[in-house]
Amino acid sequence: MTQWHIASALDDVCEGIPRPVTVEGHHIALYRFGAEVRAVGDLCPHQKDVRLSEGYLDGDTIECPMHQSCFSVRTGEVLSPPARENLPVFEVRIESGQVLVAI
Amino acid sequence: MNTATTPDTAPCASASETPVSTWKMRRWPASRETSIPAWIYSDSSLFNREMEVFHDGPSWNFVGLECEIEVVGAFKRSWIGPRSVIMVRGEDEAVHVLENRCAHRGSQLCWENRGVVKDFTCPYHHWNYDLQGDLLGLPFLRGAMGKGGMPRDFRKLDHGLRKLRVTTLGGIVWASFSDEAPSLDDYLGEEIHALVLRATGGGRRKLRLLGYNRQLLPCNWKLYLENSRDPYHATLLHSFFLTFGLLRTDTAFKAVPTVGGRHGIMASTYSAATAGQQNEVTSQLANLKTDFTLEDMEVVKPVDEMGDSSMINFSVLPSVFFQQHGNSLALRHLIPKSASLSELSWTHYGFVDDDEAMNRRRLKQANLMGPAGYVAVDDSEVLARMQPVAESSPESVQIVTMGGVDHDSQDTMLTETLIRGFYSYYREKMGL
Repeated sequence: MTQWHIASALDDVCEGIPRPVTVEGHHIALYRFGAEVRAVGDLCPHQKDVRLSEGYLDGDTIECPMHQSCFSVRTGEVLSPPARENLPVFEVRIESGQVLVAI
Repeated sequence: MNTATTPDTAPCASASETPVSTWKMRRWPASRETSIPAWIYSDSSLFNREMEVFHDGPSWNFVGLECEIEVVGAFKRSWIGPRSVIMVRGEDEAVHVLENRCAHRGSQLCWENRGVVKDFTCPYHHWNYDLQGDLLGLPFLRGAMGKGGMPRDFRKLDHGLRKLRVTTLGGIVWASFSDEAPSLDDYLGEEIHALVLRATGGGRRKLRLLGYNRQLLPCNWKLYLENSRDPYHATLLHSFFLTFGLLRTDTAFKAVPTVGGRHGIMASTYSAATAGQQNEVTSQLANLKTDFTLEDMEVVKPVDEMGDSSMINFSVLPSVFFQQHGNSLALRHLIPKSASLSELSWTHYGFVDDDEAMNRRRLKQANLMGPAGYVAVDDSEVLARMQPVAESSPESVQIVTMGGVDHDSQDTMLTETLIRGFYSYYREKMGL
């Protein structure tokens, strides 16, 4: 059953800078676009041992620092190999200055 | 004790001199066609030159069987001379052969003999390549915290794995490092081409992998290559063959050097009726034991599956021997490691449409070969003892005059024509 969990204070999620969090054991990265926040899985599905939030963010594309697989942080879609799988996408709600994600 | 001594700065007398390749100073002994000097088995500069001329040169090397890598991403680690390669089924379902050497620092990329992967990652710095050998990514391409990283003009396209030329025949995968190699058909020549098809079901049957044997032979690769072109020793050294009538000097036999001695064919006829029988020829051979038997005689009772009552074995330079001993079919991959060390790797196969009885027969008869094979163990022992003799007397000379001095085809086992043929070809290519 889906439950909402506090992931971060909204003020800690800055435009252009991925914000890694761990919620209920899930490695998630938060990305801010103005008033909006997106939450996608933070482990590169290629070898599952690298946090994408340590990579290079260009607009809404995050590039894995290990082997440069690119992903859309809006849709989770994988854009280039070696990764083949999309990132999980988490629903986001903003309440009282807190970012909540649905797990 | 003073530990802060100044290093000896005296110049090394030879440091500035051009290194000499000793093989260039060698001279083949007189009676060239029938003499083999022992230094060819131990000279490491000659070994290096052989690898350039034959294995890396305009030749086709056995790599593996297509049936070993059936699904996308399935790979087998193989060897071309001392260089490791990866045979892999690509995303395009084609067979690719890649040098097993990371384009970054040259470390061995793949350490497993077989497996299925999505891509290859070098253990050293984690550079990552796709199944076709193209560089997909490398850690910290852009550095970290604004520091390090590759130059802006670094192009992944320029740093893939080395891709070899690849071709297949009869389900067998061949590769070449050389752009100069002729087509495989031309390299093999008509006779060998036809025999590869005979050994692999004529293109109508699909191969099935049965298993492997591997061993290190403490000898030069040419000692084994000669051994596999030497019918003279077969009934003398291998008492098992004679005892159980699998090979006899009184049956029809052909020794055929092809393409100027590049390859060599040994074809014998087999008759179940002659198993264990003595006659004038075999009674002269002290090795023949008529009272020996096996718990399971199926090991030495082949059926005539090719329909020509023949066992045809042939050696394809530089790397493979096609084995047909009874119903044991195998590719013997000869892998030179150094002047004094070789690996021998058997890939045993049958056909997908073999019935259970044939499958069982092939597996049983495979016991003749391999490191502890009833027959093959004899060769390993002899060659292991031959290598130190060659190394200790490099100027000594062997003779190969059995059956004459030329290298024409002969219809007897009592000949060294295939060895003479090989060395005629070898000397020409090596300039010796």
